[in-house]
Formats: sequence, structure tokens, C-alpha cells
Amino acid sequence: MASETLLARITDYSSRPDPYPLYAELREAGPVVRQADGSYLVGTYHEIAALLHDPRMSVDPRTRGAEAQQLPFLRLDDPEHHRLRTLAMRPFGPPHTPHRVDGMREEIDRITRELLDSLGAGERIDLVDDFAYPLPVTVICRLLGVPREDEPLFRAWSDALVAAADVRPGSDTTETDKAGEQAKMEMGGYLVNLAEQRRGKPSDDMLSAFVNEPDPALRLSREELAETAILLLIAGHETTVNLITNGVLTLLRRPDQLDLLRRRPDLLPRAVEELLRFEPPVHMRERIPRADVDVAGTTLPEGASVVLVLASGNRDPKRFDEPDRFDPTRPDNQHFGFGSGIHLCYGGPLARIEAYSALGALLPRLGTARLVEDPPPYRQNAMLRGPRHLPLHL
Amino acid sequence: MRTVVDLTRCQGYAQCVFLAPGVFELHGEEGLLYATAVPEDQEDRVRQAAAACPVQAILLGEEVSIGAR
Ligand code: HEM
Repeated sequence: MASETLLARITDYSSRPDPYPLYAELREAGPVVRQADGSYLVGTYHEIAALLHDPRMSVDPRTRGAEAQQLPFLRLDDPEHHRLRTLAMRPFGPPHTPHRVDGMREEIDRITRELLDSLGAGERIDLVDDFAYPLPVTVICRLLGVPREDEPLFRAWSDALVAAADVRPGSDTTETDKAGEQAKMEMGGYLVNLAEQRRGKPSDDMLSAFVNEPDPALRLSREELAETAILLLIAGHETTVNLITNGVLTLLRRPDQLDLLRRRPDLLPRAVEELLRFEPPVHMRERIPRADVDVAGTTLPEGASVVLVLASGNRDPKRFDEPDRFDPTRPDNQHFGFGSGIHLCYGGPLARIEAYSALGALLPRLGTARLVEDPPPYRQNAMLRGPRHLPLHL
Repeated sequence: MRTVVDLTRCQGYAQCVFLAPGVFELHGEEGLLYATAVPEDQEDRVRQAAAACPVQAILLGEEVSIGAR
């Protein structure tokens, strides 16, 4: 049956520019669609929502028999997940540090301005390399306390780790997995070493806060610190780049919506939510049932790999009117751009503030901008989907 | 501008507290406190908070009250 090959077709590189027709096929075949390799796909909104909130659905790869010693809280279940997420949240957000992210607005605006000033006018630029990538990288480095100059170093580690975490049905993943493990060791050592340098002499960054926590009950172990710092550095710079780039691409493809936003900048926050629905940076996430779980008459067997296609749920006509229309005034927009439930994105508010700053500053310049190539070339990754380059005439 | 949070919908995701900490406050891990009359210099932040709420529980306007949408 053709629907048994959907995941292979979705992850095939040729689908990257426009996976949405395949998602429509998935929802037609669904809600639960078994794949030839024994995994399952779910692409309808209400079923995805139910599974994201179902405590029987694990994120821990050991639930399907994978080997792992140490995992980040992204891939741990409660209560371990809750303990580590709460500790990681202490220096970042409410209730302990509610002003950290809001307090970064001015600095983010300054970084945005400096990057844009260096672009000039009437020039051909690559929005990704010249702006959408350096902005979040600079911000996450500042937040964590990682030297910006070391970017080539952690970019290579991050590439290897993200490739190892991608969904790749039917391909031999031994080499990529090994490269991922190696990168994780090196990156963890690097970040723990940076943190250690700040022990006893804290500066205003999160590595300092983690390593100088006075209460032993609230301290991360060395391994937990490594996992958490790697997770934040990667999550902080592999996703926001796609939100900014997809934003510019979507608006340049729709001059009427671009015009609306230029006239009504107060709509920008809602436009960003609509982008997170319409062109989300994270397309799918894996879950593994701890017991047989029934969904709409189909059983997801214990230990199976279940791929929740968040980007398909975001286009489900049973949940969203005219789902394939980009509408910044859309009411009741409860999208899956940041997931839902206990693993809801930890950095969502920071990513949003970066997007408000970036798109807000770009809007006045986009009126005369033109896409050089449409569709642009995409990154290999199917799970974290976005353009590798976005050549523009400004 | 006034704001009202539908506390029957609120799930304590705290996105509003990140985006507008001068208006929304978390009491303990989940209890939410907020000011219904939004100071003028906080209006942009509260618009962001309302847009970002994962369960769309934040109502905005001049005359909002619980039950009116
Ligand atoms: C536009 C940018 C971003 C998008 C679209 C995004 C998306 C997501 C999604 C969909 C999840 C849920 C994963 C799951 O349920 O399996 C998630 C989790 C997470 N994100 Fe983000 N993210 C973004 C930016 C960030 C930033 C800037 C940070 C760090 C500062 C971050 C840190 C995290 C962490 C630590 C988790 C794991 C949360 C948990 O397991 O409890 N993200 N993100």
C-alpha cells in the first residue's frame, strides 16, 4: 500500500520544498498509518494533541530498546524530565527568573540592527548566512556564556548531533550515530570546561548560574550540565533560523500579507504564531508507547516508534479553517509549532522575541526585496526543516 | 487596554510571564496573578503574550470580562 511508504517519501530530500501534499495524503490515510518498517505516523490534529498529552507516550529512546547512558530532558520522561527541566528553568524563566528573557530585548534589537546595517541596500544577500543564522547564534551564546568566536567549532558538533537525531527510515544509521556520539562527547567536554572556568567567578550567563548554584539539591551533576548545555545551545540555534527565514520566504511569496503587516505592525505577534503553524521549523517528533495505546481504533504497540507529524496537524482542516492559507489574523491559533504538553518548547518566548525583532526590522526593507530563487535550496534535515540559503535582492 | 485571563483554560505554561513580566506573575509553579488594567508602556508586551498563549486564554480589549469573547 502506498501509505506504507509515506515516511520514506516525506523524508526523501526531494520532498523538502513542499511536503504539504504528502501530509494531506497522510491525514487521508490516517489518523494512524503503519509504515513498512513497523513505525507509525500520526498526522491529524486531535490525535496528535491527545498523544502529546498522554503520559503513556514516552520520549525516551530506551523505551524502544535503544542504548543510551545519559540523555537530555528533551528525551526523558517525568519525573526525571520534570526535575531537570525545572532546574534548567531556574536561571532562565519564571517563577525564579521571570525578567531574564524580557531583559534581552534591547540587546537582541541591537544585534539585529548591527547585522542589518552590515548588509547595505541594492545588494544580493543570503538571508540565512548573513542574518537569520548569526542572530540566534549570537543570542544563545550570550545567554549561555559561550564565546561567539567558537562558532565554527560548535557548528560542526551541532551538525553531527542534529543529523543523528533526524528521522531516516530504511537507511543505515551506524556511521551518523557514531559521529553524533563523538560530537556529543566533545561538545559536552567543551561546555563543562567553559562552565568550570566560571566557578567562583560568576558572570551574567546561564553556565555561570548552573555551576555556582549554592543549594546542592538544585545543582546539576557534571553529566546533567553537559546534556543540558548541549541541548540549549543546539535548540537555540538550529530552529529560530528557520522561523526567521520561513517568515521572510512566506511574506515575499504573499505581497498582500506583507503589505498588511507593513501597515499594521501590531499584527506581528499573531503573524509569528501563524508562521509557527503554517511553516513550522520543527516538522515531527517521535514518541514511544510504554504500553499498547489505542488511537481511533488502531493500536500503537508498546515499544513502537511513533512519529507525530506536527506540521501536518497544523494543516488539518478538521481543526483549522482554510489551513493552507497564511492568515496573520487567524483566531484561536493553537498550533503545534512549539509542541504541546510537558515538553512544550522551553525557549519559545526567546525565539518569539528574536522573531519579532528580526521580522519587525526587516518589514520596512521587504517592500522592494525579491527572491532570487523559489523554492530556495533546503537543508537535508526533514525534522528540522528550513532553507539552507535564501538569496535575496534587497 | 484591559486584559482578562480565562483561568478555566489556563494551563500554567507561563508564556505570558516571560513576555510581559510586568503584568503577569507566577505564584509558585502554577498560580497566575495579573493586572487587569494594562499600563500603556506594556501594551505591546501584552499583545505578544495574548498571541503566544498556547491555550489562547488571554482576552484583550477595552471592555473584556470573563464570559465575553
Ligand atoms: C522557533 C524556534 C523554536 C522552535 C520552532 C522550537 C520547537 C520546539 C518543539 C516543537 C519542542 C517539543 C519537542 C517534543 O515535544 O518532543 C521543543 C522543545 C524544546 N526546545 Fe524549542 N524550539 C525553538 C527554539 C528554542 C530555543 C531558542 C531554545 C533554547 C533557548 C529551545 C529549547 C528547547 C528545549 C530545551 C526543549 C525540550 C523541552 C522539554 O523536553 O521539556 N527551543 N522546541
